[in-house]
Amino acid sequence: MKRFFLLAMILIPGLTLGQSKFTLNGYVKDASNGEELIGVTVYVHELKTGTATNVYGFYALSLPQGSYEITFSSVGYQPVRKSVELTRNMEFNVELPVQITEMDEIVVTGDALDANVTDIKMSRNEINVKQVKRLPALFGEPDIIKTIQMLPGVSSAGEGTSSFFVRGGSADQNLILIDEAPVYDPSHLFGLFSVFNADVIKESELYRGGIPSRFGGRLSSILEVRTKDGNNKKLEGSGGIGSLASRIMLEGPIRKEKSSFIVSARRSYVDLFLRAAGEENTVHFYDVNAKVNWKHNNNNRFFAAIYLGRDVFDFDDTFGFDWGNATATFRWNHLFNDRLFSNTSIIASNFDYAMELDDESQGFKWTSNIREVTLKEDLNYFVSPSVELNFGYHVSYRSFEPGVIEPNSDRSLFTRTELQNEFALDHAFYLENQHKISNKLTLLYGARLSIFQSIGESDIYLYEDPQDNVNIVRTDTLSFDNFENIKTFVNLEPRFSARYMLNPASSVKFSYNRMVQNTHLISAGTVPIPFNTWAPTSYYLEPQLADQIAVGYFRNFKDNAFEFSAEAYYKDINNVTDFADNAEIFFNEDLSTEYRQGDSWSYGLELMLQKKEGRFTGFTSYTWSRTERDIPDVNLNEPFLANYDRRHNFNIVGTYELNNKWTFGANFTYTTGRPFTLPSGKYQYEDYQVDLITERNASKLPDFHRLDLSATLIPQNKRGRKWQGSWVFSIYNAYSRKNAFTIYTQTPEDSNGEPIRNQKEARLIYLFPILPSVTYNVKF
Amino acid sequence: MKNIIKTFALLLLFNACDEPITIDSDSVEPVVIIEGLVTDQMTSHYVRVSRSVDFYDDVAVEPVLDAQVSIRDDQGNLYSFDHNPWNNAEQQGYYYSDIEFAGQVGTTYSLTVTIGEEVYRASDRLQPIMAIDSLTVSLDEDEFDDPEDPGYYYEVLFFAREPQDRKDFYLFKFYRNDSILRDDEDDIYFSDDDLLAEEINGIPTAGYYSLGDQARVEMYSMSRQGFIYYNDLINLLQGDGGMFGAPPVNPRTNLDNDALGFFQVSAVVSEEIAIEF
Repeated sequence: MKRFFLLAMILIPGLTLGQSKFTLNGYVKDASNGEELIGVTVYVHELKTGTATNVYGFYALSLPQGSYEITFSSVGYQPVRKSVELTRNMEFNVELPVQITEMDEIVVTGDALDANVTDIKMSRNEINVKQVKRLPALFGEPDIIKTIQMLPGVSSAGEGTSSFFVRGGSADQNLILIDEAPVYDPSHLFGLFSVFNADVIKESELYRGGIPSRFGGRLSSILEVRTKDGNNKKLEGSGGIGSLASRIMLEGPIRKEKSSFIVSARRSYVDLFLRAAGEENTVHFYDVNAKVNWKHNNNNRFFAAIYLGRDVFDFDDTFGFDWGNATATFRWNHLFNDRLFSNTSIIASNFDYAMELDDESQGFKWTSNIREVTLKEDLNYFVSPSVELNFGYHVSYRSFEPGVIEPNSDRSLFTRTELQNEFALDHAFYLENQHKISNKLTLLYGARLSIFQSIGESDIYLYEDPQDNVNIVRTDTLSFDNFENIKTFVNLEPRFSARYMLNPASSVKFSYNRMVQNTHLISAGTVPIPFNTWAPTSYYLEPQLADQIAVGYFRNFKDNAFEFSAEAYYKDINNVTDFADNAEIFFNEDLSTEYRQGDSWSYGLELMLQKKEGRFTGFTSYTWSRTERDIPDVNLNEPFLANYDRRHNFNIVGTYELNNKWTFGANFTYTTGRPFTLPSGKYQYEDYQVDLITERNASKLPDFHRLDLSATLIPQNKRGRKWQGSWVFSIYNAYSRKNAFTIYTQTPEDSNGEPIRNQKEARLIYLFPILPSVTYNVKF
Repeated sequence: MKNIIKTFALLLLFNACDEPITIDSDSVEPVVIIEGLVTDQMTSHYVRVSRSVDFYDDVAVEPVLDAQVSIRDDQGNLYSFDHNPWNNAEQQGYYYSDIEFAGQVGTTYSLTVTIGEEVYRASDRLQPIMAIDSLTVSLDEDEFDDPEDPGYYYEVLFFAREPQDRKDFYLFKFYRNDSILRDDEDDIYFSDDDLLAEEINGIPTAGYYSLGDQARVEMYSMSRQGFIYYNDLINLLQGDGGMFGAPPVNPRTNLDNDALGFFQVSAVVSEEIAIEF
């Protein structure tokens, strides 16, 4: 620990300065609904310097005594210029009016106009939820994950899945946070939709590199989704009916300007029709988001948020399964003094699934869950306008219950079987300094110290050969009590970013980060399913480590109307968790014999052009990348292309506002098909026709491309009407391309349905032909 | 994993889109495939030797007619095998022991197949098997209401006592009037006993029967190696191409020298029942 504080001393060059200075601080909010605004530029004209609001809408500036002209500006809002006479420490809260344009333009909130170039962050994108709502959507359900899958450096496993792969990382290497709480499975209906209801999202951003020190625990990306706080000025609501699900949202003040709430719910309703039509197999999902916040005073504000979501599948009332996430966040923002901002959070997250067969002779219930409780203390110290220090401590307690199978009738053939539970304590200390060296050069440097403990209560089996998954011979058992330390893993994760302005419209950036992942997904496929479990770093699993460097060139054109970026990266992963060929990953008491950790490396070039203002907004991205893996005992110990390797990936996302009534949107995506293992022959065993496999992922699926179109109609409002409706018409897969979801093989059948025993055929599954949908939304 | 794809397809409220596609399947050097079975029944046991063929070939395999096949047990007995001794056109590539013998529980049998210069070996141990208590016939009401094949709505239930004091692996084969019966062409019915309680009280066997049919259930004991082989085989047969499940890979086998297939040694019990009132 001593070294940590020593590091802190070195990292705080501004600490000894600023004796005769005063602090100006406060919150910047949206004047229409009181939502705090993130990333608002606060510019001091006299000093030609400034800062930006943090993720809680808070800013602080330390300035010499004097009078200043200060401008607060953010895309989509009218800039506000204020005169301030600074003779003492001052609290100065500002509300920015929404920019009233001729048309209801889509604008990206919460960013300085030139942030693309001036911000030190790179490899980071915001997902504009307002725009997502006007883009074509599968079954009319707007979904931010579908837009994330089109960002540079991000790929998907094909359509109809909520998994995404960032810079050669697998789907479990993304830390997905909703109001700071991790979501272990972001999918509804096996990934057709994500758990994120677009109605409640305030901000969402994806970091694929240059990851700030306050984040850790996953190798490849951070997806941070923050929900709205609720309008603290007036009661508002909205709702929508899509082809598959309907939504309702209500927000408003509890005590005006002091406290507010928001509740939102979404439920799919096809099961109601299916039941009415006598169908015995049904499925539904729902989401509930709720949040309250209250401002005790300017120094203390509190937030409490929950998310609940679940999918329920029911087959004939006898067999069914369900899964769901539940998260809760309690947050306390506190100002210790004018310059020290604190965020204390208590976070809980639960993911569980169950599968049940109701049958006298073979009934069972299978349950599994992962739970965690986290305490986070994050501090922002605004040392001077050029130095901002972030530091904190996070601790999580996690419990992994991989599975229990219980008979649910006396005569069932099953006996109660429980897999070994695992527990872990995860500590992290971090310290990071954003240091403006000059007007041209800004540095962000810091580190995160991860201390991970695998703890009891647990039994560790010792094996004659821990990697032999055929002849498993347990030689001994090590027993550990509750909270007894089994093994400790300490890793230092350095983080460094630099931005150098070439001229006011262009900059170059560099970043290096090391990430550590101590929570491992037990899945051997490309796309995780909810029935995959997670396991902590432990006696038989080493922490996964990723080192990534990225360089980028950033340039804005036409008065910041167009933003261009070009980034190149190289990522090297050690101990990437994978599994032996033929691994049994479901309900295996000796799962550790299947673990195979190896190497993975990825490199790529990413280009992006984005337009955030005007009638036409959108982005286009192109990514060239290559990702390989080398895993012991897999593919005869030869390196192979990762399942999610994509050589080319090209996307266009755009909306055009024709007039007040009509807005049009389009998505186009083209990617190289994903690597695939095709049989190189066949043979017969008994009367089974068996594929002969020679090399993993040596072939590719056909290239994937698809065009989607949408039109949003906002009818003219009748005078005196209290509500505003709008229609979103979508056409998914406009030219009905048969995009391969996967290919499988089988013994073909003749016209009488009898198997043709000397032949074998390959079949292609594609999910969606052309698919129109309509969504009706209402605001009141 | 294919079941997940099927469930997934069920979600899509339109016709599941599934069509044949021609894949680029390069010719590779054929691989030797060996399939052998020694049981505790007094009979002439078989070993089948073949080579893999190209994916789109019209034959299932290329039989190997000139292999030297023998089995030795750990009691010092050596059994020689002859190719297709009864000159049956359907038995190309099948080798039969030149005498009838019954495998003994607890004995290890070692197979040697020689093709030209190459020698392939495997061994497996004959495990004991529990008895089948009984079979019963029951009318499946769902199937009666909406039969897939008209008249076929009886199912056969299986009763047994699973020995809880030892580790067992089972392979089942179901027959309807002496024809093998499966729910799906690529199904294999097998189990370990990890999750099993002692009493097995009437679990349904595969498929449906009509009145007058004769049902037969065969149960084979297996080694763990055999269980792993069938587990890997079903994953390969029913895999989803590496989407939700693992990418396809050849099953682990007890054969050496890169041969595929399996040499299985089993105790067998069987039980029959007539489908009648």
